[in-house]
Amino acid sequence: MPIGAEVYRPVEPDGELSCGDIAYLTLARTREAGEVPPGEVYDPIGRIPAYPRPATLALAHGREVALDTMFGLVVTHSCEIGRQRNRGADEGHWDCRLTVAPIVPEPRVRFGGGPAAEAGAWGAIAENIPVASFYLPDVANLSALGPDMPAEAWPRAFADLRGLSTVSRRIVRADRLMGLAPDYVGVLQRQLVRFFVWRDIARHEQVESLVGRRVVSVIPAGSGAGRLAVALTADDGSSLTVELVTR
Amino acid sequence: MQTPVANLIKRGGDTYASVARRTGLQARTVRMIATGETPIDRVSVGTIRQLASALGVSPAQLIEPEAPHPGDPALTRPERLARAVREVMWSETPPTYYPSPVEESDATLARVEPPDFFAGTEPIDADRG
Repeated sequence: MPIGAEVYRPVEPDGELSCGDIAYLTLARTREAGEVPPGEVYDPIGRIPAYPRPATLALAHGREVALDTMFGLVVTHSCEIGRQRNRGADEGHWDCRLTVAPIVPEPRVRFGGGPAAEAGAWGAIAENIPVASFYLPDVANLSALGPDMPAEAWPRAFADLRGLSTVSRRIVRADRLMGLAPDYVGVLQRQLVRFFVWRDIARHEQVESLVGRRVVSVIPAGSGAGRLAVALTADDGSSLTVELVTR
Repeated sequence: MQTPVANLIKRGGDTYASVARRTGLQARTVRMIATGETPIDRVSVGTIRQLASALGVSPAQLIEPEAPHPGDPALTRPERLARAVREVMWSETPPTYYPSPVEESDATLARVEPPDFFAGTEPIDADRG
């Protein structure tokens, strides 16, 4: 299980941004006004969680922006952060976004199911077993990490990869608290691969057989009860039917 | 107008005159740069270097405006982050329900490591498109 003193590193407020930076910022989600999470019957793993205490900003057509101010973990790869994306772009099209995962602290949440289930869930999170979470251990006093760090305790927490959002790199730079040590950034990269590449894949062998092949046709194979089946045919003649959940 | 130069002068408890003395510039020049009357992109590199040296920062910090911070602007960065840690990471109210990231249905999916999952897979030919 990772230990806080080995996982975190202090950062210079004006130093270079990198993957694994932790900052205090506001993440935005657009949604229908008054929208609630879709519930367990829809997608218990992939849904966007409801964060506590969101502020909202009304939009036209019954839409709104929910704003959650929290600590977030930068997951954009460092080489992408350093890339100059705006060369030749006019001011209206500058793009300075980083991908950030919201950090969920243990003292603020309960998963339900009782103390034993709660302890079991946090045990799994601490071992980085779930694909959708990235464990962030506790620190008794952040000031032990560096001279400009606040003298506060940091509880154990996890970065929730289900809630990835984008935010300006200038905001991240302005309010960075700390970063991840290089070895633990490697653990983050592995976890991101697990999350993006093969989460929710139920038929590993069939999907694996299609890796590296070109999909030459996509045919709707049936629908109903909120599901859409699609048949994929590869250039070697093999096929795979996948089922998509619809609303 | 709040320029980076004005913010640094204020934060350091300096005056236009004291900065002028340390840089060898005229106090009027320092004032015009600090108030934005003279835009920073019209100031010579040499003058920017002198100002940066006198204010104890890098030249880039005089050119790049500071990003706005959430929270009380009167607080220093450590104070602001300390308050954020207390308010956001800890709670005096009972914790609220949050959907667990632990998969409930088929736990074996999450226990397969990427090296095992990709074992034996032929390398992808990038030229195939």
